[in-house]
Amino acid sequence: MKFEWFVASRYLLSQRKQSFISIISVISIVGVSLGVATVILVIAVLDGVEHGLRDRFLANEAHVAVSKIDRGFFNNYEDRIEAIKKVDGVVAASPVVYTQSAIFQKGSQSIQDVIYIKGIDPEVEDTVTGFSKFVEGSVDFQDQKIIDRASFINDESVTGGIVLGARLAKNLTLHQGDILRLVVKLEEDNHSPGAFLPRIRNFVVIGFYESELAVYDSRMAFIHVDTAQKIYQQEGNINVILVRLEDPELAPTIGDELIEVSSFNTIDMPITTTWLDTHAPLFAALELEKIATVIIEALIILVAAFNIASTLIMTVMEKTRDVGTLRTLGASRGNIMLIFMIQGCVIGMLGTLLGTALGLGVCKLLSTNVIRPSPLIAYALVVLLIIFQICVTLKFILSKTKLRNIVMLLFWILGIAFILYCLVQPISLKELGLSEIYQMNQLPIKINWFFVGFINLLSFSICWLATIYPAFQASNMRPIEALQYE
Amino acid sequence: MENLIKVENESLIRVVNLEKSFFDGDSELKVLRGVDLEVDKSEILAIMGASGAGKSTLLHLIGTLDRPTSGTIYYEDEDITTYSERELTQFRNTSVGFVFQFHQLLPEFNALENVVMGKLISNRKSGYTDGRQLTRNEMYDRAETLLGSVGLSERLTHFPSQLSGGERQRVAIARALMNEPKVILADEPTGNIDDITSEVVFDILLRVNEELNQTIIIVTHDSRLSDQTNRTVNLVEGKISY
Ligand SMILES: Nc1ncnc2c1ncn2[C@@H]1O[C@H](COP(=O)(O)OP(=O)(O)OP(=O)(O)O)[C@@H](O)[C@H]1O
Ligand SMILES: [Mg+2]
Repeated sequence: MKFEWFVASRYLLSQRKQSFISIISVISIVGVSLGVATVILVIAVLDGVEHGLRDRFLANEAHVAVSKIDRGFFNNYEDRIEAIKKVDGVVAASPVVYTQSAIFQKGSQSIQDVIYIKGIDPEVEDTVTGFSKFVEGSVDFQDQKIIDRASFINDESVTGGIVLGARLAKNLTLHQGDILRLVVKLEEDNHSPGAFLPRIRNFVVIGFYESELAVYDSRMAFIHVDTAQKIYQQEGNINVILVRLEDPELAPTIGDELIEVSSFNTIDMPITTTWLDTHAPLFAALELEKIATVIIEALIILVAAFNIASTLIMTVMEKTRDVGTLRTLGASRGNIMLIFMIQGCVIGMLGTLLGTALGLGVCKLLSTNVIRPSPLIAYALVVLLIIFQICVTLKFILSKTKLRNIVMLLFWILGIAFILYCLVQPISLKELGLSEIYQMNQLPIKINWFFVGFINLLSFSICWLATIYPAFQASNMRPIEALQYE
Repeated sequence: MENLIKVENESLIRVVNLEKSFFDGDSELKVLRGVDLEVDKSEILAIMGASGAGKSTLLHLIGTLDRPTSGTIYYEDEDITTYSERELTQFRNTSVGFVFQFHQLLPEFNALENVVMGKLISNRKSGYTDGRQLTRNEMYDRAETLLGSVGLSERLTHFPSQLSGGERQRVAIARALMNEPKVILADEPTGNIDDITSEVVFDILLRVNEELNQTIIIVTHDSRLSDQTNRTVNLVEGKISY
């Protein structure tokens, strides 16, 4: 290898006649690093989003919810909860009355929103979902003083306290102590629609729930489980048991066991919904996003690899006489091949390492909140750089080769694919509702070192593959023809 | 550079009924039509002939840069035409030194590096230099000595572009000597330089032959050189005429 390195390094460093070869080397390096840097960055963001969401889900939500298949109410719920708590791996379980309700405010004539109402026992609920950690204000639903005061000020009967999702409260411009009206719709109303009488209950706002997850913050309200049972005429019954596990990843298997222990007779038919089930589409979409990113970035690196190949083809042409000379001195085809492969690999390696450094550097900047990019600018920048790169490549290298048409076609496909990607990427992110769900004041970043290693390997392999054809051509030249080449 | 004991008339190269044709589609151009030639050890032989007679072609075949259409080339009774590609590559490295009309130095490397190059290639392949491996320093020392012996001790770190035509040819001669080859093949080494400079290059080649007992085959149009060689043969119509 020593001899090949000796020659290859000299060729790489020499800045002779055709200085545009080194310009193209630089462009290849930039291209490779761009691809590597963006993939590291985008994946770090996607990983960060996924991780952040998981953390928040796990902090806010029960790991398993046990309910009846028809969403009906359980009797004997205390016994069932006791049975569930005995299962291995279960940390805590809480009774919940989970319903939907239309709401409107005092002074409003029409229904303003339909939200989820969770009837909970705050103390028990804390052990399962850490409820009160996310509440600003009071969590004492039965605080008679507040209730009486609200009742007195508004001159109306008040059923109890309610904790509102922070964003919901903001949208409705509700403050602590304000009155919110719930339209209570009972099961039996469904059977005799003609007899529908709206039962309206007044609740006083006592606190605000803020989890930074839009589903909860904008569509959820909490009341006491006893109150819920009363207004829904289900005294002693509940319809959901929330369960916290030691290891959330075990939710699917433990869930099956929970079904068994909570089924007291044949008509119960309980079912479980794990946190993984609830968010499966989101996690699947994120996964898809990641795969798409890797493929697109691989294509970017591929474009750069074309540059490396072109650089090498030029170098081989320029060095034909040298190849002849080296062959007369007794260099083998293998020696010649290595000399040119080393050059391409050094370019690929430099690009890959620079790209890694760049990608990690930007990750660092983003996570320390030094810069806050608008995605549009970032994409525009990447597109511009890619287009620039393609133009330069076409102009300098491909003017006279046979490969031109094929390569042109490939560039077009890549270009269009990339533009499509740029169009689809932000849209799909929006569709995921990430920007909605995830109120970020900084981009979540999570660097997966295993993936960084993988992308380095991938990038380097692509560059290495790009060197094979030109190097093979060089090694395949017959010594005499190479010597006589003008 | 140790002196070999010169053994009179010991044959180094024997070319037997060598034929070489070039094919262009269906047409065949017979360049060599049965060349018989014997070259003795320590001999300096001149090959002359009209332009296009096939002198370069013959030299390439002897130097294993190309394969003959038919016929055999023996080096010390070893038939090299049966060698594999790999064996030929090794053979070129260890046993043949070339000096061409156009110097063929590597432009990115200075004189010293150009001379040492052949050794850099071969030294890593243990077992087919003469047993011993040179250290890096020994290689460069040897190259320096060789450049000194062709009168270029002041030009070690000059690049080819900084050297005159004659100086480049002298570097090429030093390079050809680097691996102590069995034979040096020179194809019109002075074809591209003026008469006075040519004399210098000739002198060096003659001296190398004399002092190192280096076998040399030299293709030339210059009768001043061929007059001073041990022997001169003519290539006429694809055959050697004595
Ligand atoms: N690779 C080749 N393909 C086809 N024809 C060739 C090839 N190499 C040489 N020839 C032909 O072979 C003939 C001999 O060429 P060669 O170079 O050996 O002549 P030469 O004696 O060295 O001439 P000169 O004195 O001009 O160098 C020429 O007619 C040449 O055109
Ligand atoms: Mg010739």
